[in-house]
Amino acid sequence: MIELKHDSLKFSFSEVHPEAQLTIGFKRTLRIPDDGKDYPLPPGLGRFPMKHVDDFSERVPALWIQHGGVMLPMYQSEALWLSFNSEFLWDHDTSYPFAIKVATGKTNAVTGKVWSDGLQKDPQDYMVSSRQPWLDGYCIEKGVIRQFVAMPLGSGYSAEEQITGNAEHGGIQVIVYPMKRKIFHKRFPKRKYVKDIRYPLRYHVQEDREMTQPCFDMGLTPGGRMRQEIYEDPFGIENWEVERKSRCFIHLANSLVWRAITSDPPPTVPFTSKEYTDYGLPWFDYYSDNSTALKGSEKLNGLKSVVEMGKEKGDNPVPENESVEISNVKKLRNSLEPYQVREGTF
Amino acid sequence: MIIDDLVIVPNWITEGKIHALANDLNEDPDILLALSGKISKDIQKIIRKRPLIFAQLIRELKNMPDNAVLRIVREVRDGNW
Repeated sequence: MIELKHDSLKFSFSEVHPEAQLTIGFKRTLRIPDDGKDYPLPPGLGRFPMKHVDDFSERVPALWIQHGGVMLPMYQSEALWLSFNSEFLWDHDTSYPFAIKVATGKTNAVTGKVWSDGLQKDPQDYMVSSRQPWLDGYCIEKGVIRQFVAMPLGSGYSAEEQITGNAEHGGIQVIVYPMKRKIFHKRFPKRKYVKDIRYPLRYHVQEDREMTQPCFDMGLTPGGRMRQEIYEDPFGIENWEVERKSRCFIHLANSLVWRAITSDPPPTVPFTSKEYTDYGLPWFDYYSDNSTALKGSEKLNGLKSVVEMGKEKGDNPVPENESVEISNVKKLRNSLEPYQVREGTF
Repeated sequence: MIIDDLVIVPNWITEGKIHALANDLNEDPDILLALSGKISKDIQKIIRKRPLIFAQLIRELKNMPDNAVLRIVREVRDGNW
């Protein structure tokens, strides 16, 4: 079952395990420069507002009602990332694990292949939480993604249009599978003690600016390059409860029609990377010592970025694309193993 | 709707009979049970499992509007895609 709670999707699998609950957040962030350089993680700028499409059936396209799910507003060239959170279970010393598959325009964000339900092992077409705390874009190389950036669907920029030649679906598609209950209890038996575990946390910064631009349905397209690893499944595909899936279609409405649909104002435009960096605010690097990164998809690596596509079309889709020099980078890491010593700053 | 607050369902009627009555009247058995001052056995069982949490939850919900209460349990609908 999926609920929309506090502008996030809450996936619950109480029939598998009472603790099998995952929250997926859709977060705003800086659009990193699309200049060929590899950037660290930008900050989170808060959640996108989300609504049930069924609540606005008279004002959204019929196809959205057919798809079901939810919708959120995005400006042209705005960036987005997905956060994966499940509560830490102290007595099991872990969060409940999930396999998560994400697509944009029904194009898998990890493999570049056309959407299908189910999980695929080789090449791995899903991520595993909590090993994978977030996803910021398309997995193009080992340790590198291209940021999710919104462009009007039908303009030829989206990953979907570049791969299939059609602007048919748009939006984001998510499917979640919990770990099998028996395997969870076998792998993570109850423990008698608890330990201090630090979670990676991306800062949230308030923004206040305004902007313009028209259109309705948005698709996601590859933006600037970012250092981010998509990790291999450490458990194995047979560990997932494939019969107990939950999936959701997340529609992307242009922010400029959001008020007409919902009567609510859309969020303001986020900072540019340059403005943020000039204020001396931090960027982030995340690493997990015990994880292996996937090598990335050649198909996705072959896609044109927003700027490359804009040059080909003679457009300037991302006017504020200045490179930035980043010196303030905070390191985040996955939890420490019992034998590991935390390194401080000195 | 036939049943409203003015209707009193005698509390000596058993839960089984109320279910049968609700079925005949095409009414929600939970409403008839409430009117007779009863709570269905399945709900009692749920409350007994975690009495403190549910007592707190129900008191918290006391003054919330129906739409807000419904949001708590509303599912996101998956469609055809």
